[in-house]
Amino acid sequence: MTTVAAQSAEVAQIDDARAGAGGSPRRARMTALGLLAPSLFGVTIFLAIPVVLVIIFSFLRWNLLTSPQWVGFGNYVDIFRHEGAGHALLVTIYYVVINIPVQTVLALGMAMLMNRRGRFTAVVRVLCVLPYLATPVAMAVVWQWVFDPQTGVVNTLLHQVGITGPDWLSSSSWALPVVVFANIWQYVGYNMLFFLAGLQAIPPQVYEASSIDGATTRAQFLHITLPLLRPTMLFVLVTGFIGSFQVFDSVYVMTQGGPGDATTVMNQLIYQNGFQGFRIGAASALSVILFLVILLVTVSQFSYFRNRTTYEMV
Amino acid sequence: MTRRDRGRRQVAAILATALVGLTGCSAAGWGVHGGGGGKVHLTYALWDPYQQVGYQKSISLFEKAHPNISVTIEQVPYNSYQSKITAQYISRNAPDVFWVNTPWLGDWIKGKLLLNITDRVTRAGIALDQYYPSLVKLHESDGQLFGLPKDWDTIALYYNKDYLAKLGITSAPRDLRWNPTDGGTFLQFLKRITTDTRGHNALDPKFDSNSVKTYAMASTNDLQAIYGDYFAMNGGSILPAPFATTSSIDSPQNRQTLTFLTNVLQKAHVVVPGGQTGPNGGSDNIETLFSEGRTALWQTGDWQTNSLSQLSGFKVGIIPLPAGPKGRISVFNGLTDGIVSNTPHPEEAWELVQWLASAQSQKILGSGGYVWPAIKSLDPLFLDYWKGKGIDVSPFLEEASGDTVSFPVATGLAEALKNVTTALGPVFLGKASATDGLASARTILDYRISYFK
Amino acid sequence: MRSTIVVRRSLYYAALVLIALIFITPYLFAVMAAFKPLSEINSDRAWNLPTHFTFDNFKSIFQQYDFGTYLLNTAAITVILTAGQVSFSLMGAYAFARIRFPGRDALFWGFLMMLMVPNVVTMIPLYVMMSKAGLTNTYWALFLPYVFGTPYTIFLMRQYLLSIPGETIEAARLDGCSELTILRKIIVPMSRPIIITATIIGVIFSWNNFLWPLIATDSNKQQVLTVGIANFNSNFVSQWNLVLAGSLVALIPMVIMFVLFQKHIVNSVNLAGASR
Repeated sequence: MTTVAAQSAEVAQIDDARAGAGGSPRRARMTALGLLAPSLFGVTIFLAIPVVLVIIFSFLRWNLLTSPQWVGFGNYVDIFRHEGAGHALLVTIYYVVINIPVQTVLALGMAMLMNRRGRFTAVVRVLCVLPYLATPVAMAVVWQWVFDPQTGVVNTLLHQVGITGPDWLSSSSWALPVVVFANIWQYVGYNMLFFLAGLQAIPPQVYEASSIDGATTRAQFLHITLPLLRPTMLFVLVTGFIGSFQVFDSVYVMTQGGPGDATTVMNQLIYQNGFQGFRIGAASALSVILFLVILLVTVSQFSYFRNRTTYEMV
Repeated sequence: MTRRDRGRRQVAAILATALVGLTGCSAAGWGVHGGGGGKVHLTYALWDPYQQVGYQKSISLFEKAHPNISVTIEQVPYNSYQSKITAQYISRNAPDVFWVNTPWLGDWIKGKLLLNITDRVTRAGIALDQYYPSLVKLHESDGQLFGLPKDWDTIALYYNKDYLAKLGITSAPRDLRWNPTDGGTFLQFLKRITTDTRGHNALDPKFDSNSVKTYAMASTNDLQAIYGDYFAMNGGSILPAPFATTSSIDSPQNRQTLTFLTNVLQKAHVVVPGGQTGPNGGSDNIETLFSEGRTALWQTGDWQTNSLSQLSGFKVGIIPLPAGPKGRISVFNGLTDGIVSNTPHPEEAWELVQWLASAQSQKILGSGGYVWPAIKSLDPLFLDYWKGKGIDVSPFLEEASGDTVSFPVATGLAEALKNVTTALGPVFLGKASATDGLASARTILDYRISYFK
Repeated sequence: MRSTIVVRRSLYYAALVLIALIFITPYLFAVMAAFKPLSEINSDRAWNLPTHFTFDNFKSIFQQYDFGTYLLNTAAITVILTAGQVSFSLMGAYAFARIRFPGRDALFWGFLMMLMVPNVVTMIPLYVMMSKAGLTNTYWALFLPYVFGTPYTIFLMRQYLLSIPGETIEAARLDGCSELTILRKIIVPMSRPIIITATIIGVIFSWNNFLWPLIATDSNKQQVLTVGIANFNSNFVSQWNLVLAGSLVALIPMVIMFVLFQKHIVNSVNLAGASR
């Protein structure tokens, strides 16, 4: 858990130790660049150049059929005034806000619950990770069936206890929570693994020492477990937020952004503008906005955690 | 562990080679497009499986007459039709010939996706006056023609024969008139055929509006079937002209008409409450409502004739639309077969289009009761087919020969119309005034149709 | 005293069983439904076993509806993509981790920054680039953006390579071995765990990839499973027997992979988690 610079310093020390043996720095560079050539090629052509292009496209009006028109910041105005970007941002933020905190708490809870020996526990722990691989598109179809108002498992079960279940994916209040549920189901087990690793890295002596000092379980959790889990927490939260802001597969399959625009998240709006409406410029502007939002959130999380994280055990 | 890993790796390597080899089977997947000696293969795309039967018959005859051309019919779902064909055009593998509906004409003509057939039509000496003139105009832009008419449709009122007979109406009136002030004889008729659970109709003072058993009809958020027609009959319009970049949807006449369609009719309790017809007050549920006998009339297009002829509950009759202040005007629409501009086989594709626009092909489709043929002289075929099945479809023909308003044409129209439906939704649900609804409809409509100038 | 322990124990096991059920039952129900005819799915409870067990649903989707093509396409693309991604990333990771050359840190920071770029940002320009190059709706479009190595895989492998002892490498260099030989004879054998992990990550990514294949392909013959399933689902709404069978074609191989490689998947967490 050291910074990149520190790691490079390590390697540098190792390499310095045998400086002079082998090749000159220039030859080393040639070999290295040779080895890096494919990745450099891939990253430049398929990552770096597209980033530049998407910014340029966001200033154009273009449908790939006729020639592009320069419109300056016009797209940025249009997407908020006419294409519903503001609403999509709200829907996405709402989705992230009900997804990540719930998922993180559940993952931590499950990790703490199953952080013990035992074959049955081990089996269940592994089962929790099974959904991680499930193809989101395929699972979305299964969930559509499970939540079907007439024949789905959920409403059938509710019916047996006398409750008429709502229309789930056709209801503007329940559609988004169902999509959140699908996401939590898929990733909570995997996130639990991270917390398990983090928990197991805490030496038991710390707990023993604090017990001797008279700390309650609650106090131990708040003042030992949580602070020492911060690096893991940072990782889980950052990856969770970045992933959630880009949710698409389940929305596309389960609701196509509906009913109405109740589940039109940013990615869905980008897809609709770019590949159903063929408004390349507007879709690019939306992508840039999404990128900036994700960047902002990630940077805030890092700075929040930077001053509060203990990396080393003294 | 090591040996198992090595074994696994070998298996993986074998699988890999096999799979990589297999994908070679689809040469097109690697970007290789075959030359294919001799026979030309065309793809023809459509969305209606019912009409596909008729088209297959017609195309089989075409293939016999042209032994060097073989045609595969491909069914593409309607909801994603425009974006799919456009994407396929961009990656140069669009079908050679495909159905084109009017909302997409604007984008496809201006985007040069459709082949300009003006010269080919002249050279082949095709007489354009055999078709309805407004249909030919529909597929023109700046004097250039992009498709030959092949069918048409208008809007009329289907009615539940059994239900009306029970009310003592053996032949429904064909000369109703409506106006936005008091509804005219049309509203009187609607009231007469709306009955509550105790059998009182809406003209009766004892009528209980809280327990209506059968409504006269549904007035829904549907441009082609409902408000487009009434707007025209009151002197309003959606667009001032084809390819307009500002709309005329928000006008005093339209506001008056829309208020009539929503407010006035709802207050008279002759129409199904907005929330029950579908989202945004749309037409999603009204086929079910009509076939279950909960509405007496269904105002829609002739394409519904086939499914209504198979109803088990009752017999169906048809009357023309009521005439408004400007007379009786129906929305008039027709499909065409477009040729994609980057087809590798333009000449063969043109042969196919010529055939489908010809009397021989349209005879098959008309006499099979699939569609009204665009060639005027062949209209009796469709008429006779349905007469044989006990349904008189002449009102549709009457309207086509009278005043009509063509379905609007503009760029970005397909998506614009979806947005207009959302904007007018609250009006049909009784939550917003016609003025407010039309104002926001105009904003989004103007934005969309002027987007790509 | 003992009774509270027993109660707590039972509660604990009950909780575990509940958790296990939540994660397994969707799979189980989907599997059972895929072997029922549609009439049974609509009338029965989902947890009833099939009374008319039938393979018809799978027969239909493979014979009538291109699922065989989708499966082959997905498998082939996955193999190509993963093979390239793992190999090229390993080469790059080795260069970053073990070769000292001027400009290395700056270049690596550049790669790191690319990690921050969300997928959606590159989708549109990639589509435009591919369409201008005439590559849309081809297999090339499906694997080219990923096959040359990705920042995440390079990052992961570099972490691993930094942690292996360097004496063997130095000795080999002193003996005059070329870097390629070192890679082949020393690094690759020593990196077996990370290679397996990276392969698994690559396979999962490619198999489940949806947005890019959706954008990049528009005809059945080139589609992959995810796109095929999504289109099939929207065209055959409420024909649950077929649609669920289709989903299983994608889900079952992933379950098999999980069962075979579950240890490595769990280890990937330690590797990724340790990187922060």
